[in-house]
Amino acid sequence: MSAGAGERLARLDRRLIFLLMGLVVLVPLLVPIDLPVVVSEETRDFYREIESLSDGAVLMLAVDYEPDTMAELDPMTLAVLRHAFRRGVRVVALSLYPGAPGIAQRLLTRAAGEYGMTYGEDYVYLGYNPDWSGTMLRLGESIRATYPKDQWGTATRDLPLMAGVDSYEDVDLLVSINGSKYAEYWAAYAQARYGQRMVSGNTAVMAVFIYHYYNTGQISGFLAGIRGAAEYEKLVGLPGDGTIAMGSQSCGHLLIVILIVLGNAGYLAARRRGTGGRA
Amino acid sequence: MQVSTDVGIWVGALGTLAIFSFLYRENPVFRLAEHVLVGVSAGYYLVQYAYSGLVKKFWYPLTSEHNYWLVFGGILGAMMFLKLNRRTRSWGNIPVAFYVATGAGYLIPSVMKSMVLLQVEGTIQNPFAEGRTIGEAATVLVILAGVVCTLVYFYFSARREGVVRHVSRAGILFLLAGFGATFGYTVMGRITLLIGRFQFLLRDWLGVGG
Repeated sequence: MSAGAGERLARLDRRLIFLLMGLVVLVPLLVPIDLPVVVSEETRDFYREIESLSDGAVLMLAVDYEPDTMAELDPMTLAVLRHAFRRGVRVVALSLYPGAPGIAQRLLTRAAGEYGMTYGEDYVYLGYNPDWSGTMLRLGESIRATYPKDQWGTATRDLPLMAGVDSYEDVDLLVSINGSKYAEYWAAYAQARYGQRMVSGNTAVMAVFIYHYYNTGQISGFLAGIRGAAEYEKLVGLPGDGTIAMGSQSCGHLLIVILIVLGNAGYLAARRRGTGGRA
Repeated sequence: MQVSTDVGIWVGALGTLAIFSFLYRENPVFRLAEHVLVGVSAGYYLVQYAYSGLVKKFWYPLTSEHNYWLVFGGILGAMMFLKLNRRTRSWGNIPVAFYVATGAGYLIPSVMKSMVLLQVEGTIQNPFAEGRTIGEAATVLVILAGVVCTLVYFYFSARREGVVRHVSRAGILFLLAGFGATFGYTVMGRITLLIGRFQFLLRDWLGVGG
């Protein structure tokens, strides 16, 4: 690359890059690209954990995220609910984030409607509880004491599903879908303290921190961002938003790689000429 | 194509476009959307915290179930506000001390086990243990080398010469690989957020696509 071209590249209007990024993400949504999805080992382990649950088993689903990470985590939550309901697994859902109840209610209602599940018998939503660390620990002693009422004010002890479910001992698998460090805290307070088997679905940004817990066996499997969601949807056999997003995702990544290469080439060319240049 | 008639969807769509307008340049429409977002969020969280904490966890059990033990917690909670006044500030330290002491008491054992002891155990493993494949053995060695080299890089009490210099440089490489992986995941996360907004605009607002 010549130094002149390098300088021009370095002075490129950033709005052109925004426009390019917008187009490469938008077009595959309008004209879907069918790209192969290779399933990673951590996603396969996540799938195996839910697949191993028998009819009537209890899955505790912690919906711990807010609207800012819905795009990444909604596909995971929906796929977990569909997978669980399809296998006849009962779901006890709860949230430790104040912005989560609206999301959890919407997804639970949608998935339960698809599989004809009955509230109170096949699934319950306990709602939001403040003091996340205290809640995680206290659930190991008594779920009914921690959540005396569900999201809609019904006494937890009056819900048929909760009649035989009152602590981690009665929960077969904990699934934490979160956009923060909550998976690590569930691992510390539910898994390490009470031996609760767990898996997690995480935003891509947080996924790098989960490998430690996966490596030590505290988290038995996990989903990393939208890629993990697409892989899981493939294993469950129910393509959803995760799968749809992969075309745009791949095109966006390709553009970023091209821009990084061009940006560095332009920077080096400008530096060789001794005119500096913006990185 | 079937454009939504839902007012909420329209508010969300126009709000999204208003925020996107910042990509062109700073403008009053973006400012308005930003302030509405901050105001609505603050209002939502205030109500959610007040209802979930004060009403559901304190007022209802106290008045309907006559759980008078909660008065103790209520007094401690109210004492937090004493820290706002210079003359009563020291009294506000009492609930803080209680909170820190109980929190440390019931959290430290779990955190030590999960985030320290089990992590050390996971780092120092026998690569030649029975049943391990070559790939697994290599992974164990890379993890161990990465941790040792990175720790040496952050050990500032020894001169950077000889073996220490080389190991410390290897530590930098491990750190860079870690940053690269984190950056890659961050890019994926940010693009997903953009995809989510486009899906909302196309599917929920304009009624395009499945």
